[in-house]
Amino acid sequence: MPVFKTPFNGYSVKFSPFYEHRLAVGTAQNFGILGNGRLHILDLNPSQPISQFASFDTSDGVYDVAWSESHDSLVLAAVADGSIKLYDLSLPPTSNPIRSLHEHTRETHSIDYNPTRPDSFLSSSWDDTVKLWTIDRPTSVRTFKEHAYCVYSSSWNPRHADVFASASGDCTVRVWDVREPGSTMIIPGHEFEILSVDWNKYDDCILATGSVDKSIKIWDVRNYRVPMSVLNGHGYAVRKVKFSPHRGSLLVSCSYDMSVCMWDYMVEDALVGRYDHHTEFAVGVDMSVLVEGLMASTGWDELVYVWQHGTDPRAQ
Amino acid sequence: MAMRDLVSGGASCAEPGSSSSSLNPLGALANALIGSSSKTQERLQEIPTATNRISNGNFYEGGMEPFNALPGSEFDHPSHPSSQGSEFLHGFRSSGQDAFANAWDEVQNPQMPLFQGRDSLTNIPPNQTQFQPQLDGPPQRVLSNFLHSFVNSGHGGLPFRPTPLPVLGLSEGDKQRIRNRSSIMARHFFADKNEDFVNAQVNALLSSLDIETDVQARRGPPGRFQDLEDVWNDSQNLQNGPHSADGWIAEYDQHRVQRGNPNDWVHSFEQLHGANNWASEFENEQSQVASFGQMRGASIPNLAAMEQTRVLAHTLSQNQDPKFQNSKFLQFVSKMSRGEITFEDNQVKSSGPPAPGDWATEYQQQFNGGQSWADQFEREEFPPGPAGWVNEFTSAREQQGPVDDQWVNEFSKLHVADWADEFGRQVGEGVLGDDSWADTFDEYVNEQASVRQQAATSRGVYVFSEINPYVGHPNPFQEGQELFRKGLLSEAVLALEAEVLKNPDNSEGWRFLGITHAENDDDQQAIAAMMRAHEADPTNLEVLLALGVSHTNELEQAAALKYLYSWLRHHPKYGTIAPPELSDSLYHADVARFFSDAAKMSPEDADLHIVLGVLYNLSREYDRAIESFRTALELKPRDYSLWNKLGATQANSVQGADAILAYQQALDLKPNYVRAWANMGISYANQGMYEDSIRYYVRALLMNPKADNAWQYLRISLSCASRTDMMEACDSRNLELLQKEFPL
Repeated sequence: MPVFKTPFNGYSVKFSPFYEHRLAVGTAQNFGILGNGRLHILDLNPSQPISQFASFDTSDGVYDVAWSESHDSLVLAAVADGSIKLYDLSLPPTSNPIRSLHEHTRETHSIDYNPTRPDSFLSSSWDDTVKLWTIDRPTSVRTFKEHAYCVYSSSWNPRHADVFASASGDCTVRVWDVREPGSTMIIPGHEFEILSVDWNKYDDCILATGSVDKSIKIWDVRNYRVPMSVLNGHGYAVRKVKFSPHRGSLLVSCSYDMSVCMWDYMVEDALVGRYDHHTEFAVGVDMSVLVEGLMASTGWDELVYVWQHGTDPRAQ
Repeated sequence: MAMRDLVSGGASCAEPGSSSSSLNPLGALANALIGSSSKTQERLQEIPTATNRISNGNFYEGGMEPFNALPGSEFDHPSHPSSQGSEFLHGFRSSGQDAFANAWDEVQNPQMPLFQGRDSLTNIPPNQTQFQPQLDGPPQRVLSNFLHSFVNSGHGGLPFRPTPLPVLGLSEGDKQRIRNRSSIMARHFFADKNEDFVNAQVNALLSSLDIETDVQARRGPPGRFQDLEDVWNDSQNLQNGPHSADGWIAEYDQHRVQRGNPNDWVHSFEQLHGANNWASEFENEQSQVASFGQMRGASIPNLAAMEQTRVLAHTLSQNQDPKFQNSKFLQFVSKMSRGEITFEDNQVKSSGPPAPGDWATEYQQQFNGGQSWADQFEREEFPPGPAGWVNEFTSAREQQGPVDDQWVNEFSKLHVADWADEFGRQVGEGVLGDDSWADTFDEYVNEQASVRQQAATSRGVYVFSEINPYVGHPNPFQEGQELFRKGLLSEAVLALEAEVLKNPDNSEGWRFLGITHAENDDDQQAIAAMMRAHEADPTNLEVLLALGVSHTNELEQAAALKYLYSWLRHHPKYGTIAPPELSDSLYHADVARFFSDAAKMSPEDADLHIVLGVLYNLSREYDRAIESFRTALELKPRDYSLWNKLGATQANSVQGADAILAYQQALDLKPNYVRAWANMGISYANQGMYEDSIRYYVRALLMNPKADNAWQYLRISLSCASRTDMMEACDSRNLELLQKEFPL
């Protein structure tokens, strides 16, 4: 399956929810520690190499990207200088970005577009806050500030348009309802920093967390004292977890151990597959909504892989 | 291009309104005030790097602190052997206060770079003397490789060793970013190790990059700040003091300058309250700072303040976090508490025990120099933390205007008997002991000052070889040029030195000497020679071009534009294009336009295209730069230095493979072009081909063993290629062995 080489270190990859052949990739120079960033829009071509549809340079690393759920041409980039850039692929590169939202005082680490109320999105930042934005406003609608350390990730609940979860270096996950003034639930999920959180796409009460403690935990918010399941197998910090859009118990993860793993938390041997194709930290992973089993990953080896689950990503 | 973009390193980005933010408001202000000397890590690789310290009085900026003042030995401490995971957590959660004595012992037997820096000046371990402070360097993307080996050190679990690097021209914003991000990321990579290990790794990285190491930009996840808070609360209960003092601390930390010279306890608080510029808070609240001005002659408030600082010192000292104990702020406060430092009329006075020429005096001198604080802020790193702290403090006060003494009043409301007794008892017991650490601190500061002076005088000064067989040669200039043509660069240097000794006003002689040094990959000498050439003949076009290029390497836009503009002004043909009134305030766009006009006037003049290429490098429009150099090459296909420029530009625009081809062209034309060999190595390293890069470095070093930069690149490549077995050969500069191991 195809591979694409990016000039900078890969940070995030996302399939377009509108076109099965299109991907957005966020990259950062020098591992995101210092330098520029670039947003790539890539197209998959049958039996041909991946082609680049567009690319946009940023003044600092791109830590995360997200597609709009309402417009096929809109892409958001979370930039390490704390800003969020909005790009419209239907416009020429000179008109982009069409918006730059700069409120976070530190690195914006992740961005999540609301799938059920498609005018709003969330950004999480190392300034310890999560911000809620709508596409039509130049300033954030709300700032959620309870975490005591960097917020690495936030994720909308797939069924409730007002509910989201946030994962932080303060070792907690918080569940929020944007209609409420404060968080509605605090899950002290891990002993170490929590880098990623995602909701199950088929059960609105279940979420997964990935932590520096190398484990992935599955939680039921109705009974969050103990995790439903603990998935061990990564050798280093788990950087990102993502539930399958097609099967409720399936999730994919990537880690600083350079591997991408597929898990089924309902079965005893939860580790369904392990992909060791990256030669540096695997930092971004996604599963296509439109093509079942199609996966993409990127990492600090500056490569983007797209492959079908069960096949070797490196097989050409 | 907006100066602001340059400052924040965001210039390469074309999108509007997206200049990267400096995380530090005060730093951003300073940058905005004197943005012209901004830097980023990308440079042309081939041309002598002019240093900022030569003629523009800007020499405190950037990598001021010599590397041998930053000891490497402390990082060799093995990490704690015991249970790694729990140790890691323990660091975050421990809240006991029983380590008070230990903590103070640490202060007395300091392990922090600050004090070791002083020791290492007098007692340098032999293996550290290998690398002289390398304050110049060709350009580059060394940084990239360096960060790579940092990140990879997580895999092997090998301690990451500080490596002397050439000055990379990192701006404050860049440093801030590196500090923040590497601290946060290191905790993810090295979760297996204990926190000491993480800190050692990050410190090694930061000290190599000449970023202050005693500060962790962003501490680990919360937990630890809790104990500080507890300590503070306890002390408050003890005193039944009003809330005001608490507020002082809170505000202090809330608004502390992130770039921060200072100290870690502030960071702890920062976790609680978010980070900001505390100095500006003082301004807004128009309360505390002003009171320092009032202290003069007012013994009562002064005393009260002194006592308050004792509370602070005592409280702070109870935190067992070692980084906390390393806090320069703590030392400052401690000194203040003993009356050794007071504030008089906006200035810091030291009345303490033996402090000859102490930092306060130094500060005063600087301050009275009439420069704005922002100037100073920019120009120097403020190795002595307190000076920086005070500087910020005073500057805030300066801006503040109206003075009230609310702060002192509030402080004096505190009842202080309890802690004062306590403090006295500790002193009696010798917990604080004599003032040796304070003396040490003073000495350190003094040495810093003298080192700085030395550095200032030694830079930009051409150093002649001691033994020179060409002295007395009838025509050393001709001989030197002949040797240069034959590619015997080191010999050519000697002959040309003989020439300029004989005729110090021979601008061409100096210029040739500079070029020879540049091609021999010895930048410092090259620049010094060029400066002399410029002195001898301020209108020499070649010299102006070389200096413009040099400053472009440093991304010193203003200086570069000045020389390039000067080149145009003095050019017999194009002098009319450039209006003389512009010479004071130059904008890149204007200068580029003049040169474009000139190029249209005579498209066959390769020099114009070369300058345009350099200008586009300055604005990081690499595609246009490459185009310009290619045009120039069509006119001058046999100009090897032009091929090298093209290669360097391609390397900067992430076209490593093309760059290698260009360097190869340069080497075909001039096989003894040491710099091109070294650049070739850099290009291979940038593409991750470390083994190949090593061969090229070794080749370059065989031709000029004095190319210190190449030694450093070699070391990085060896570590990236996991050839630690050859590290010893590199450190001892055993070229014979290296050549055998890595033949080209």
